[in-house]
Amino acid sequence: MSTSSENGVVYSRLIAKEGDESIYELFIGPQHPSSGHMRFIVRLEGDIIVSVDPDIGYVHRTMEKLAEGREVIKAIPLLERMTIIDSHNVTLGLVLALEKLLDVEAPPRAQYLRVLLSEINRISSHLYGLGIAGIMLNHSTMFMWAFGDREVWIQLAEDLTGARLTHTYSVPGGVRRDMPQAFPERAEKAIRYMERRLKDYMEIFLDNPQVRSRYEGVGVLKKSEASRLGIVGPNLRASGVKYDARLAEGYAAYPDLEFEIPMREDGDCLARMQVRVEEIRQSMSLIRQVIKKLPQGPIFAEKYTRLLPPAIRQQVAQTGQVKFPGIFASLKLPEGDAVSRVEMGHGEIFYHVTGAGSTKPYRLRVVTPSFRNVILFRYLMPGHRFMDFPAIYGSLDYFPPEGDR
Amino acid sequence: MRVMNIEGIITWLLKIVLSPQVFAPIVFPGLLTALMVLLIIIWAERKIAARVQMRVGPLYVTRRLGGVLQMLADGARYMFQEFIIPDSADKTPFVVAPVMALTLAIVPFAFIPSAPGFVPIKSQYSLPAVLALISTIPLSVMLMGWASNNKFAIQGAVREAFMGLAYEAVVFLSALAMGLLYGTLDLEEAVTKQWLPGLLLNPIAAFTFFVGMVMSAGKLPFDIVEGEQEIVAGPYVEYSGIIFGIGMGLAYLKLYSLTLIYSILFLSGWNPVITPLYSIYPGLAGIFLFIKSFLLMLFIVFLRAVYGRYRLDQALRAGWRVYLPLSLIAVLLSIFLRVVNIV
Amino acid sequence: MSGGEKVKVLEETFTRLGVQVSVLDRRVRVIALPESLRKVAEEALSLGFDHLVSIEGIDWPQNNTIEVVYHAESYNDDLRSLLLEIRVRVPRDNPRLESLIDVWPNAILLERETWEMLGVVFEGNPDLRHLLLPPWWSEIPPLRKDYKVQEEGIYVDLE
Repeated sequence: MSTSSENGVVYSRLIAKEGDESIYELFIGPQHPSSGHMRFIVRLEGDIIVSVDPDIGYVHRTMEKLAEGREVIKAIPLLERMTIIDSHNVTLGLVLALEKLLDVEAPPRAQYLRVLLSEINRISSHLYGLGIAGIMLNHSTMFMWAFGDREVWIQLAEDLTGARLTHTYSVPGGVRRDMPQAFPERAEKAIRYMERRLKDYMEIFLDNPQVRSRYEGVGVLKKSEASRLGIVGPNLRASGVKYDARLAEGYAAYPDLEFEIPMREDGDCLARMQVRVEEIRQSMSLIRQVIKKLPQGPIFAEKYTRLLPPAIRQQVAQTGQVKFPGIFASLKLPEGDAVSRVEMGHGEIFYHVTGAGSTKPYRLRVVTPSFRNVILFRYLMPGHRFMDFPAIYGSLDYFPPEGDR
Repeated sequence: MRVMNIEGIITWLLKIVLSPQVFAPIVFPGLLTALMVLLIIIWAERKIAARVQMRVGPLYVTRRLGGVLQMLADGARYMFQEFIIPDSADKTPFVVAPVMALTLAIVPFAFIPSAPGFVPIKSQYSLPAVLALISTIPLSVMLMGWASNNKFAIQGAVREAFMGLAYEAVVFLSALAMGLLYGTLDLEEAVTKQWLPGLLLNPIAAFTFFVGMVMSAGKLPFDIVEGEQEIVAGPYVEYSGIIFGIGMGLAYLKLYSLTLIYSILFLSGWNPVITPLYSIYPGLAGIFLFIKSFLLMLFIVFLRAVYGRYRLDQALRAGWRVYLPLSLIAVLLSIFLRVVNIV
Repeated sequence: MSGGEKVKVLEETFTRLGVQVSVLDRRVRVIALPESLRKVAEEALSLGFDHLVSIEGIDWPQNNTIEVVYHAESYNDDLRSLLLEIRVRVPRDNPRLESLIDVWPNAILLERETWEMLGVVFEGNPDLRHLLLPPWWSEIPPLRKDYKVQEEGIYVDLE
């Protein structure tokens, strides 16, 4: 293993080192107020971190194996629980892959509604990340404000889908419920409230000189390293790489909407937090565009609604609540496979579904953004002081249930 | 044989209780007032932080009063909790250290005057005596961390040692600057010499003493010793029961003593004296001193809603590179003001 | 260079290496043999695919093989809508492959997961230990098709 950075990556940092007697080993274990659902084996020499070994797998729920044992339509609520704070983006990937396999396309109105819920979830997920970053520095005001303001967006999502967190909104063929009448005014009120609050967040947290001194220059991830290690999400964009799966894949209604990808060049913790705040602003502008440009039409694919009896079809058209045809209970996956990539709040999620002619998928592979970001715990930490550990952890927005699946 | 009547006994008892040597350290501003302040200030901290953070804070214990007696409920809970001594801990220091810390936090009240002429131990050196006693509290915290035999506790004890190095010199030099300015190290005379509050006479010393006070009491942004996000309550991690309650309250007691000294040195102590109260009983005239120090404590606990935590080396660097030179400048300013005969 | 032309370039490069190439809707699929895997990977790296998205193992007990699928991705503007898929088949009773850590550094955790879930040994990976499973795991790798999940009945009779 070369230790030089000729490939863009310092290899000696990828391997966890054991060390001799002068190394002080601390287990920031699962029984710790701020370790999340995982364990870190931190090796210190004095106050400087020598190596960190992230020991994940404490909340491994064997979702890939479970998905092989049940019908593919049931995999949607199953996989939603991976990242429950961002549940629409998680399942949207699976639904897109299934639509490719089943050769069905969602109507335009459904595509726009998918964007709407995706952006609401993205804001909610970023607020969660901001709150956790705040409490890692013991800044309880940021924590309480972020989680209190998340309530606004969760209630908006409840208006749209009927559930606060477990939406299960997208299905192969479209979405399940139509937008209610009073939704645009409520969304506008929420956006105006959030714009005021974002200014408060900047004042008390990101422009607070004390917080800046904890975040500036800490945990720097260079552009070449970020690209080489396959980092995703705001962590990648804060290091100067302009990549977003919404642009790369062009799914749902994103090709018709205008939005910017916020970027920073520094790659330190402050840059990552600033990128998240900017992304909240971009998501709010996207929600406004969607509400303005929402086309009329059905929300569920014609291929499936024509299998419903005519009375139910009319009911679906009137109430805006979709009923599934009987075939959904035993949707057969043809031979073949499909991939899809979707941008979640935490980064890009990847699905690869292999069908073998039965109702259950032969293999369902999912790589979550947190699983791709785990390597940063081992890579970024050496050389920093021990108290930088929670600062870097908070800024990476790592979500253990998502990393473990 | 002299006949002892009831009246004589009661007068004798009253004389003892109302003498400064007993009243000041035990009742006001000593032990009982300190415990009541502990009760109210922790409740106030939680309520103030809650109001800033869009929530309600403690509410249910005495609902009509807004949950004021919450800490009494917490204290009662701690009383009934089992005090567990781990097998691997060093038993005698484990039990003795928090008690020692509490005692050392109460002893400074023997030197702090609360009204003109009303001080338990009248001494020319009350200021250095109080500061010396307060600076021994970190030793007992370190003993707590060592006796716990736990990696996180030892990390906390080491952090306490480092923080002690950061703020001790700053606090001492700022107090010394005021001592030079007033020409006396006696706290009682320091109040009488303040024709303007010390805050306006030597603002630099006031500022550095304030920051040193926040560092010493371990309040945000300097609550590094009990850093919950890294070392899980630091030296107090193995403690349970009432000892844990004492440990948590220790920081506030230290803060109380330091704010009393701050009010005496910088906010002109118990002035203006309410003469009617003074003629009833001298100890009661210290009410203004108490109000000033309480308001100062409220401001310091409000800082919790604004700041995060500093890193250990940042706090050390701030203490030595910024505040120590500033306090030296404060000493020079005091010398200059004396020479120019302002005081 | 537009997307279509880039795909042509990729096709040509890989066909020159002597492996089977097919293109399906923005995915370039390369079917390689275990011996030529490393060459394909290095070629992909030089084309701009500088990190892996996933390493996946699919168990085909009817053919007695395990198929290991690599997906590589690039953040460059012209390549980002493409995914490179490399498929390798290894025998099921002795699944050994070369580790690709020095080509793609983030394979270090992905290979660990494929090892523990399917039993594929990656030679050269210094860090092959359990990632998601508990360290005392002693049964066969769970994602294989002959691993039966032990189920408990819901109804229990009084003995």
